[in-house]
Amino acid sequence: MDIRVKGWKELFDEVMDKGLCTLCGACTGGCPYLVAYKGRIVLLDNCTLSEGQCYKYCPRTYTDMDAISQRVFGIPYSEDELGTTKEVLMARSTDTSIRQRAQYGGTVTALLSLALAEGFIGSAIMTRTSDDKTPIAFIANSAEEVLQATGSNYMACPILQTYNYLPKESNRSLGIVAMPCQALALAKMKTEPPENRISIDNVKLVIGLFCTWALRPDGFHHFLKENLDLPQVKKFDIPPPPANRFDAYTQSDTISFPLEQIRKFTMPTCAYCLDMTSEFSDISVGSVEGIEGWNTVVIRTDAGAKLMEMARAKGTLETDKLPAQNLAHLKEASLLKKKRALREIVNRSGNRNDLLYVGLSQTLADRLLA
Amino acid sequence: MARIDIDAPDTTQLFIGNEAIARGALEAGIGFAAAYPGTPSSEIVGSLSAVARKMGIYAEWSVNEKVAMEAAAGASFAGVRALAAMKQNGVNVASDFLSTVIIAGIGKGGLVLIACDDPAAISSSNEQDTRLLAKWLGIPLVEPGSFQEAKDMTKWLFDLSEEIGTLCMLRSVTRISHARGNVKLGELSRKGHKAYFDQIYDSRNVMPTAFMPIPSALRHAFLYMKLDKAREKFESSPFNYYVGPDEADLLIITCGSCWLYAQDAVKTLKLEDRIGILKLGTLWPLPEKLVGKHLNKSQKILFIEDIEPFLERSVMEMVANSPEGSHYPTFYGKRSGHINAYGEQSPDLVIKAIGSILGVEYQPRDMEYAKKAEEIAKSHVSDRMMVFCPGCPHRATFWSIKNALKLDGRNGLVTGDIGCYSMALGPSGFFQVRTMHCMGAGAGVANGLGKLGQFGFNQPVIAVVGDSTFFHATIPALINGIYNQSDFILVILDNNATAMTGFQPHPGTGMTAMGEPAKVISIEALCRSLGARVEICDPFDLKSTTATLLEMMAEGGGAKVVIMRRECELVRGRKEAPPYKMHVDPDKCIGEACGCDRLCTRVFLCPGLIWDKKTGKAKIDEVICTGCGVCADICPQGAIIKEAT
Repeated sequence: MDIRVKGWKELFDEVMDKGLCTLCGACTGGCPYLVAYKGRIVLLDNCTLSEGQCYKYCPRTYTDMDAISQRVFGIPYSEDELGTTKEVLMARSTDTSIRQRAQYGGTVTALLSLALAEGFIGSAIMTRTSDDKTPIAFIANSAEEVLQATGSNYMACPILQTYNYLPKESNRSLGIVAMPCQALALAKMKTEPPENRISIDNVKLVIGLFCTWALRPDGFHHFLKENLDLPQVKKFDIPPPPANRFDAYTQSDTISFPLEQIRKFTMPTCAYCLDMTSEFSDISVGSVEGIEGWNTVVIRTDAGAKLMEMARAKGTLETDKLPAQNLAHLKEASLLKKKRALREIVNRSGNRNDLLYVGLSQTLADRLLA
Repeated sequence: MARIDIDAPDTTQLFIGNEAIARGALEAGIGFAAAYPGTPSSEIVGSLSAVARKMGIYAEWSVNEKVAMEAAAGASFAGVRALAAMKQNGVNVASDFLSTVIIAGIGKGGLVLIACDDPAAISSSNEQDTRLLAKWLGIPLVEPGSFQEAKDMTKWLFDLSEEIGTLCMLRSVTRISHARGNVKLGELSRKGHKAYFDQIYDSRNVMPTAFMPIPSALRHAFLYMKLDKAREKFESSPFNYYVGPDEADLLIITCGSCWLYAQDAVKTLKLEDRIGILKLGTLWPLPEKLVGKHLNKSQKILFIEDIEPFLERSVMEMVANSPEGSHYPTFYGKRSGHINAYGEQSPDLVIKAIGSILGVEYQPRDMEYAKKAEEIAKSHVSDRMMVFCPGCPHRATFWSIKNALKLDGRNGLVTGDIGCYSMALGPSGFFQVRTMHCMGAGAGVANGLGKLGQFGFNQPVIAVVGDSTFFHATIPALINGIYNQSDFILVILDNNATAMTGFQPHPGTGMTAMGEPAKVISIEALCRSLGARVEICDPFDLKSTTATLLEMMAEGGGAKVVIMRRECELVRGRKEAPPYKMHVDPDKCIGEACGCDRLCTRVFLCPGLIWDKKTGKAKIDEVICTGCGVCADICPQGAIIKEAT
């Protein structure tokens, strides 16, 4: 494992050219050279620096899990299947109009709206689906704008580029809705704060989304365009197993594709990802298997707990205990992702001691590889 | 610019060679002058157009050299003395017409082609010797060896042209055209011009007068007769002469500016009593009797001439035809390797050649002295790369092209053309241009690339052309692309000037060579009339220019046009104050740190931006910054501030 900070050349050698890029956007927007465009990281001009923040914050360059965990949670990386948790529960928005538009229980929308209304954050960086159904990162400054972002399109979106583009003198407090890889990059930024960009201390809230894999925006969007009348599509959904399909809802119809047809557009890097539940966020949110209209919520930090408390007090969210069977199943799925990813990594490196970007304690690595 | 119309016969004036040529034309009573600008020829019609109205003549910047030559021939056909001037590349453009007008013959007005060659290709895309074309097509050819001769030969050439009834050609080179020297003036012509196309057509002449190259074989035979007549004239021409001893250890045969170098070299070596120089002014047809007479002066013959071994081969041909038993001298020159067949000649090179032939040692000066002289000379000029001027719209255009091609991600490429923007081959255009040949070739080459889709080619193709070059030679290529549905984008850099050669007007500028207003030919209206999609961008709006290019590349499907419209900064700057006052906020500038790495002074490379090594910050060179404001939009830290003036 090479733990040095290097430059853009090595970033391309070790990450992009190896199919490990997650399209998180951490390397882009912070300098004039790297930009994310239509599912690719593009180098506009040659940068001469041998050490760059592009390399440093990439979630697929070497990451000392204990160090970032220490910075985010005050303890070394948890051996728990779900990472560091304070509480795991079930929640949904009390606002039925949110729930109708939301993917599941509308918890993320409700939490962000509340955080904005209460001044917990000044703006939220998140993804919405454009009219032509491509994912675009945007900055929401109000509850109405947050509502635009409801629903998922399952494609990777470089929201951290939008964060990096913010003026460095800005003192806006920020919430970010992050995929696991993006939460990981943000944790690396928190551990060693970036220079010549907006301060990482402005990020007051990271809401992490559960993720098993994301789709390549270029290839998948092309597929959608060929098979659907995109402006007519209202919502996409991958119902929980055993449905094994991808649904596109129009006003009057539902068009389904076998999941296998969709899976081939998966980002190759997702096979090497250990994190299903966005372990480095303040609060993680996902679906609940078998219970429609609710979200699984994992509270991880004091900030997350405070926001959840506020949501309960204000009646924004309705909460319930996550059934033991669901929790067990969630843990099992999360552990399986870790094990599978580590096996893939070792297959790729050809060496049990070379876990590519993953800096785990030897004991945990051994346990997961057992 | 010197006054070429000064009415002071027998006085001596300081003229550049091109002004001397123009003065010669005025003394010859020229009525018509046409040219397309091109270094080193531009000042001929440039200076004639400035005095045209006063002198009662007509001068124009034609759309291209072929049209210039044809227009001048038209004047000749109607009895008006006419010239066309062009650089060597332009002679190629005109060559199709030249090859027929030389067979067809001229009218009653003398017709002269002035071809200015650019040895070492200082301002050209080729290093071509137009003398070969004179020999190839059969055009009587002269080459002046001084500024005085530049004037006198031009004047005389009109008489010769009329006497033998054929187009004649004067070849100049940069060191004659652009150097300056004394010229003793003659009388300006007072002859008025009367133009009339004389169509002799009556019962005795059943065929009307017609200028045409048929029957070609017969007319070709006439041409050889005309050339024999020219040769006879050349045998006794005062433009050919010999200086040196009656018997020489070495005979130099030379012409043009090399005559000056040869004299310098012989004098420097103090070998005037051992070396003779035969200076030729009338080069083709070769005055063989004269040359033959001087060949006997030495057993060793050295040829010194710029670019091709033209005299060298012509004399060798002549000697090869000598009667049996003749003695053959030893020839030195480009064939033997004593003189380079590329680059410019110089006194030093001639000294070297003489030294090696005669075994003479010569140390020009000690190296320390030369080094010191170079250092002192360098200390007077800024250390700058060859880049676009500050505020040049082309820099902004290529910035957007570069970014659009990178973002598109299909490895798109740019085919370039002739103009200031040829510099985009280098750092100024961020190394974007991949091909550059001759006027209009960028769009022509793009036509081919844009039709390779059936062979798996999917790289976007952008052909870049200037506005003047668009009118000159690009319109047929665009029509071809539209009609044959070739997939490329023609980017027309419309800076409203023929900038590289000195801001001569063109059909898009609304002004003629003689300063009269003219109806502007709209590039967009023309392109739209051909059925092309046309977009007009302001290159200083980087974001929207990049977006337009990206969208057009993604669209594909046949030739389309983007016009980048921004006036040349050198033209705008003469009329208006800078729009912005620029400065760098040193607190915001992060210089070499991650997040910038000197984008403005390392990549963007406007000479108005300087890197201050001491502070590690960028700053504005207030003396040359034109306040265009574009750098404020590329600075990643918002450290470059523009304030409206």
